[in-house]
Amino acid sequence: MVDMLADLSGGFAGVLTPENLIIIFVAGMIGTLVGALPGLGPSAGIALMLPLAFGMPTVSGLCLLTGVYMGTMYGGRITSILINTPGDAPAIITALEGYPLMKQGRGGLALGISAISSFVGGLFGLVVLVFFAPMIASYAIFLGAPEYFLLMLLGLSTIVLLAGADLLKALLTACVGVLVSTFGSDYISGHIRFAFVPELIEGIDFVAIIIGLYGLGEVLYNLEHRVVLKLGKPSFNLREYIPGGRDLREAAGPTVRGSVLGTVIGVLPGAGATVATFLAYALERRLSTRPERFGHGALPGLAGPEASNNASVPGALIPLITLGIPGSGGTAIMLGALIMFGLQPGPLLMIKSGDIVWAMIAGLILANLFLFLSNILLIPVFINLLRLIQGHLAGVVVALCLVGAFSLSYNTFNIWVALVFGVIGYLMKKNDYPTGPFILAVVLAPLAENYFRQSIMLGQGDWSIFIERPIALTLLIMILAVFTIGIIGKQVVRRRQTRPH
Amino acid sequence: MQKTTSLITAGLLGLALAGPAMAQDFPTRGIEFVAGYGPGGGHDTMLRAMAKIIQDERIVDAPINVVNKPGGSSAVSMGYLNGHSGDGHYLMSITSSHITTPLTTNIGLTFEDFTPIARLGIDPQLLVVNARGPFQSLADIVAADRVLNVGGTGTATIEHIVAIQLGEATGNSFNYIPFQGDGEVVTALLSNQLDFIITNPGPAVDFFEAGHFKALAISTEARIDAFPDLPTFQEQGYDITLSLYRGVTAAADISDAARTYLTDMVERLSQSDAWRTDYLERNSVVPGFLAGDDFSAYLARTNEVYRATLTDLGVID
Repeated sequence: MVDMLADLSGGFAGVLTPENLIIIFVAGMIGTLVGALPGLGPSAGIALMLPLAFGMPTVSGLCLLTGVYMGTMYGGRITSILINTPGDAPAIITALEGYPLMKQGRGGLALGISAISSFVGGLFGLVVLVFFAPMIASYAIFLGAPEYFLLMLLGLSTIVLLAGADLLKALLTACVGVLVSTFGSDYISGHIRFAFVPELIEGIDFVAIIIGLYGLGEVLYNLEHRVVLKLGKPSFNLREYIPGGRDLREAAGPTVRGSVLGTVIGVLPGAGATVATFLAYALERRLSTRPERFGHGALPGLAGPEASNNASVPGALIPLITLGIPGSGGTAIMLGALIMFGLQPGPLLMIKSGDIVWAMIAGLILANLFLFLSNILLIPVFINLLRLIQGHLAGVVVALCLVGAFSLSYNTFNIWVALVFGVIGYLMKKNDYPTGPFILAVVLAPLAENYFRQSIMLGQGDWSIFIERPIALTLLIMILAVFTIGIIGKQVVRRRQTRPH
Repeated sequence: MQKTTSLITAGLLGLALAGPAMAQDFPTRGIEFVAGYGPGGGHDTMLRAMAKIIQDERIVDAPINVVNKPGGSSAVSMGYLNGHSGDGHYLMSITSSHITTPLTTNIGLTFEDFTPIARLGIDPQLLVVNARGPFQSLADIVAADRVLNVGGTGTATIEHIVAIQLGEATGNSFNYIPFQGDGEVVTALLSNQLDFIITNPGPAVDFFEAGHFKALAISTEARIDAFPDLPTFQEQGYDITLSLYRGVTAAADISDAARTYLTDMVERLSQSDAWRTDYLERNSVVPGFLAGDDFSAYLARTNEVYRATLTDLGVID
């Protein structure tokens, strides 16, 4: 413990120069902006900064990259809340609860609460990173394909909880989601499925789907129903935007639980952050005394997932700095950056270049603090900005969505994907089909499929691989519990509702 | 005649480019380096390293710009380069997907529709085991009395082909399990979920130093400088010499002047010290420069190896 604090203070000594502080601050701002733009997520943000980072000394360059990474996680929530357009999969839940608050005229509160839980989540993740990184990494590697498969299944089982009133509709949309996710090359068999045009060889980019389904779908729906956001009078009085004690108390528990969940699951590669947000949401909904408020702007449903989302950033860095194994799209690009800086990512990184890594961690801690303060201060700006463009909101959102879709791979194909899913999203909303199960299936089904096939191959055809491993068995029991509780719970509610008649 | 052909091709594609820019005074503008994958990936980092060294060492004066055309396992970038047929101002990085994507899909383009410039290096394949595991030599693996689990990246990839060839050479049957990306393969070996893996040196090299992993064989024809103590498969009696190539190709039907210029540029690059220290050594890539017709012949041979394997696996007819 003491060693780590000494290392960390050494890291701070390396970071605390005026130039580095400015770089971290600017990086956070750029990250917030990039994350706020639909379509541009952590991977794009880090990649955009790479050429700039290489012109800098190693520590400054890495601070720039990690600052942008952290910033995108703060930024992702802004468009989710303001215009119902998540920039990336982990921000979907934020839109689910944040945007209803916005429509009720409590957008400032949503931004405030989510900034605080983001900060707490990030800080918790960083503390774990500082003290327990090597220990966590040494356990995390023992999770293999069977555990990952079951984890994805656990994520998918939250469909039952996201379903809303009609479980059949939820399962139906989930099935369509699975179908959509099968497009493109399958690395297990080497076959390519449904590649009608070359752009489909790598499958449909789910971020384009998210942009269409939520952003464009919402615009179409609002145009038809002439929805007007309650934005009130312009106000720059910060006090109005700071959440009160009652709201903070309501968000405290979910924030802590979300932080723990995000750190633990964020360590795992692949869809760590996304699974963490959905599980945090499902958990809060299960624990809530008033689950009927979920989907209509419930603070616990906003705070928990937001905390887990940001806690997953340091979580994803743990396997990167201890083993040289990237845990997310963003860290995969960081891996490339470390190599280009002349570092050798791997088990010896902390030993050979510990000073640089600790400086990077110190930079992250500062970035998290700066981002928290600036995001709180910027709330009135965002709210008033939205008020300013309110009359043209539909046009602005469509423009942002199309530019975002284009920037996914700099071609027009994804614009068409977003437009098609925009229409689908509109029809789903109009006919009361939930979008959550659909997008969850799109993101998680291919991972579940591949891990399942890997597991069976590892077991050389023997299914017992799922019950012989203790962690796998635990996960299996949890999935069964979620299903039983979900289905029985719904039956109980239905009985209660029908009894008076 | 060649000019006429290129004009017809361009006309058919509805792209009225090419032709006139093909005078002797090449280049007439900056050169565009095309990466078929996104920023931060292997293609992108190689091209950016090339651009930086070419400019730092003043190998050519023309400005160089790296653009990313990701999508479709390099199909999108192949289409893009094909749209610039006859124009030598484009240089695209290529590796195995330049062969496998045309074989497994119907994009209607193959490596022969481009002008191969040079192979810049190779990623040899290593057989790697966990240092604390039961297998300490290739002989131990051959003598194993059960079906061993082998890990590698993807199906019908170079790792997979090496695993198949090894099984055929030793008479063992191996259970090959494809993973998505080097990181997952390394993790699975680290936690003893696999008996051995086939991998390029990059992701494993630090684990050798840390004492976690041990390499038992390498797929080059002779031992390499980076691992002087590591015997080749051939030395141990198994004829496996397959490596992943990293090269560059230009558009079809470019002028001789452009071809000479590009070849000369990458040849001088490959001879520079900066290339060796800042790209090859950092990324554990083995030098293996091969230009012009030799490179084309190499691609043709590689194409046949992949075609045969993909057919055997039932991926293609």
